[in-house]
Amino acid sequence: MNTVAEKMPPAPAAAGFDPRVEGQRLIRQWYAELEQASELGQPVANVFVMGNAVEILRAFDFKLVFPEINSLQTGVRKASEEYIRLSEDYGMSPDVCSYVKADVGLILKEHRHPAGRIPKAHLAVASNMCNTFIKWAEIWERWLKTPTFVLDLPGQRSAGWQVRPGDAQHAADARWVEAQFQELIARCEAITGRKLDLERLAEIEERVNRMVLHWNNVMVLNRVCPAPYNAMLDGLTFIGIMNVYRGAPEGVEFMRTLEEHLKAKVARGEGRVAEERFRLLFSGTPCYVSMRRLVELFETWGGVFAYSDYLTFAAGGMDAAELLYDTSRPLESLAEVTALAAQRGLSNQFFAHERLARQIRDYGADGVVFHGIKSCRFVSSGMADTREYLNRRLEVPTLYIESDLIDPRYWSDAQIKNRVDAFFEALGQRGGAAPARGAAEAQRRSA
Amino acid sequence: MKYVAGVDVGSTQTKAVILDEHRAIVGRALLDMETSMTTVAQDAFRAALEAAGIAEGDVAWVAGTGYGRYKVTFGREQVTEISCHARGAVTLFPLTRTVIDVGGQDTKAISVAPDGKVLNFTMNDKCAAGTGRFLGAASFALEMPLSELGPLALKATNPVRITTTCTVFAESEIISHLSKGLLPEDVLMGVHQAIASRCVSLARRVGIASEVTFTGGVSRNVAMVRLLEEQLEMPVNVSQDAHFCGALGAALYAHERVHGAQPALAA
Amino acid sequence: MTAQLPYDHETELEHVLERCNAARQAPLPAKDALPEGFSGLLGHFPVYFPEEIAHAAGLLPVNVLGGGNRLEMKHADARMGSFVCSICRSTAELGLNGSLAGLAGFVTHPICDAAKHLAGIWSRNFPEQLSQILYLPQNVNTPGAVRYIAAEYQRLRAELEKATGRRVEDEALRASIRLYNHNRALLRELYAVRRDEPWKLSCIESSLLTRARTRMPCEEHTALLGRALDAVRHRALRAQDKPRVVFVGGFCEQPPVEMLETLDDNCYVVDDDLLIGLRWLSADVPETGDPIWALAESYVERSAASPVQHDARKSKEGYLMAMLREARADAAILTAAKFCEPGLDDQLAWSKHLDEAGIPYLVLEFEEKMTSFEQMAMQVETFAESLLFALA
Repeated sequence: MNTVAEKMPPAPAAAGFDPRVEGQRLIRQWYAELEQASELGQPVANVFVMGNAVEILRAFDFKLVFPEINSLQTGVRKASEEYIRLSEDYGMSPDVCSYVKADVGLILKEHRHPAGRIPKAHLAVASNMCNTFIKWAEIWERWLKTPTFVLDLPGQRSAGWQVRPGDAQHAADARWVEAQFQELIARCEAITGRKLDLERLAEIEERVNRMVLHWNNVMVLNRVCPAPYNAMLDGLTFIGIMNVYRGAPEGVEFMRTLEEHLKAKVARGEGRVAEERFRLLFSGTPCYVSMRRLVELFETWGGVFAYSDYLTFAAGGMDAAELLYDTSRPLESLAEVTALAAQRGLSNQFFAHERLARQIRDYGADGVVFHGIKSCRFVSSGMADTREYLNRRLEVPTLYIESDLIDPRYWSDAQIKNRVDAFFEALGQRGGAAPARGAAEAQRRSA
Repeated sequence: MKYVAGVDVGSTQTKAVILDEHRAIVGRALLDMETSMTTVAQDAFRAALEAAGIAEGDVAWVAGTGYGRYKVTFGREQVTEISCHARGAVTLFPLTRTVIDVGGQDTKAISVAPDGKVLNFTMNDKCAAGTGRFLGAASFALEMPLSELGPLALKATNPVRITTTCTVFAESEIISHLSKGLLPEDVLMGVHQAIASRCVSLARRVGIASEVTFTGGVSRNVAMVRLLEEQLEMPVNVSQDAHFCGALGAALYAHERVHGAQPALAA
Repeated sequence: MTAQLPYDHETELEHVLERCNAARQAPLPAKDALPEGFSGLLGHFPVYFPEEIAHAAGLLPVNVLGGGNRLEMKHADARMGSFVCSICRSTAELGLNGSLAGLAGFVTHPICDAAKHLAGIWSRNFPEQLSQILYLPQNVNTPGAVRYIAAEYQRLRAELEKATGRRVEDEALRASIRLYNHNRALLRELYAVRRDEPWKLSCIESSLLTRARTRMPCEEHTALLGRALDAVRHRALRAQDKPRVVFVGGFCEQPPVEMLETLDDNCYVVDDDLLIGLRWLSADVPETGDPIWALAESYVERSAASPVQHDARKSKEGYLMAMLREARADAAILTAAKFCEPGLDDQLAWSKHLDEAGIPYLVLEFEEKMTSFEQMAMQVETFAESLLFALA
């Protein structure tokens, strides 16, 4: 198997590359392609960002719809409330995931999304990594008659779970995942009328490998001080491309250029903020209706999110698996990596304390910000307890704030600002070594 | 002469209505809850008898309703307030097909048949966002009696959007808006809009069919009436006698027991 | 009752129910007061857990069914957000207040994300206990599911062997399977009485009888069930004018007894999915061959349905309609625990389907910790009234 350390040939950095502008262009292009899918008679699949077998679907040329991204885009475009209200009028409970509700709103609006018309799927793949994926897919199954495949990925079973590539447990789990891939492939073959082309699969996996390598380097680049990007603002663009263009040439190109772009920034000693005073970890999901505002609340104090677990679990968790696809045995390897990523990068959310302690070290974090989401039990249910656990053991200040993924009704600006300000006052009282460190780092790099 | 009576024992008030054999109201009474539920039910019934000028022995059947319906120990039967409100609303407004009842503690949406029978109903969940309690929070924050909230809200020119749906947080949100110098009428209108949209959302779950009759304590709030009409895009029936709706419905059930099923009444 | 029978059935049933109720409310037994043959207690979260494996390991399986409506929350509110369902919060509270200190371990399942987080909470706060997620699959339709479950059961078996220092022999597993098969057969008889003569056994009595298995050895519970069934069959009660309803809520969190009383007062609950995990296996587990395989295969081939298990063969609407049909019910009462995502999603699906099918239903919201039932009673009563008016 290949390892992460393997180097890709260097390529020149694109001059004038703006990741945000390029990311937005690619997302627009994706929506435009989705609009054409029905006309062109292309097969369409609904997939989620955790545990999705995108490589297989892409090998069959499925156009990919990411319902989570559709929902978050209603938030980014300030239209989520309308969609959510529609679904609540239909009868959805206020207590269920707002992504699901925005999507039900989308069905009720006959698939008209602010970014364009979303085609009807011929297949949906839902993994068990977030149980709501399954309930969500069941809605399409009963309402739109979408054929659904539930991909069961065995997760991390307990704290201190040590599973290594090739050991008996990993082999057993990978065998179960592979059995499901075999069935999924048969379903795809029936829908498209085509046989799986293993060479094609290998080619896609090769691209994913290259994307993951660049991705890992992008993550590592933010370990320097000052951090070249904000994990919870710029990072959200990166992750969108990582998901939507996973295994596509555009995805490889974006990640390659991004890495070059950020390397150059680091070489210049240029940080995300003018003066980086505090490096923070963000745990949880964004609130897409107010993310710019939230980041602003932190950056005005010189606080930058150097890393977020969101960038791991919402990108499929493969970076945490520390494995790349062995393209000489594409199917077996896909199952092996998927099984490992599920345990090391996705379902380890339930034992978040284990990795947070490590990441605080890796990213030189001065504090941890927990963002609880009322309707997302996957990220939020254990958060307060994890925070308590870290407080008892580590000398790292933590902040807990609460809002929602995309429901603007749960964003309370005054309350959040109050807590953020108090957090920075506390951080400030602990001594302000950070700016000096940042300056020193910049000097070292230019020398 | 065969009279019948309905007694509605609510959480804050008890109402009694007496009907004659033609289903005309001949006596009624409204008492505030002061003593025990059993005594207040008995007292309201007696007061209604007095108003009608008849004796207890003239009444052939008494039906109890409301939260305290089982305290109407002298009654012959108990019917829930949902059934009674539906029946009462259809009597007050015979073309009623949907009843929206907003009280201090809960909100109900009822879909009714032409004969006043309940086809479907739903109530607010534990969250009190669409009930009168939300107005209570506003009244407390603004230090203003409930009865003045509606008229003031109607003066709003630039309503504030109240984002929280939680009654507990509403108060602090209202105070924070006021402290920013926003006008009380604009904040209040926002509060009313939030309640109205929750009520309409609830009503959609049973299916909204014209005509809609609005009952319960909050139906006396002029701003709520207007907002419901705007959001439902149809006129809404409101009666000054709306608070007697439950007792009237109970009396009609009693009437049915004594005289058998009757055709729907004209208004 | 006048005639003096050899024994009085009502008194007999009362005794059995008292024992069940006492078991429900009793604290966990101390280490030196464990039932004979058991060396410890193994806690498991709803919905389904293969109790046979714990039983054969000499660990008494204790289904942790939340804290009911009398538990005072002192710690858990600070550890789990207000948006988490009551049973997860009260389970954490029972751990944090020491009520579950006697457990050798606690096993939860991937039924929902909040339940999975309990394993993390357990490992952070009670590292001395074995804390595990038993990864039952959400895909039971792909060939290979049985093999995967069997591997997961073997893993559990090995974990328990390590914890107890005692091997779990196949023969012991087969013996446990036999015991549980007998027990489940009696539970099926109990539900047959509910369907055929609901006036003889209320929903609340039936749930108390079923629930007792979560706190006593299967052997003792089977004996109690036998006595209860005998007494129930001899009950001289008559049918009343009440509508027949099916009560579903994807129960993991248990509704308060007062809620069941409210239903019993107004309706005959002729079927329900209360404690469905204890009745998950719907036919006998094979008593020969590899016992672990037999249990795994039964999970896939002979099992009930629930909102927290995806199974392409069993649509949520389909199994509700089958319950209604088989129990000859007039209507359905649908409920979901507050903040229970799977339950709330399916409640909506059910109500939309019943709308289309023209079957009357009532939707109720509940929480294990609720203490006020007036509003609920009024809704149930109105619903029963409207059904009786319609049926008349």
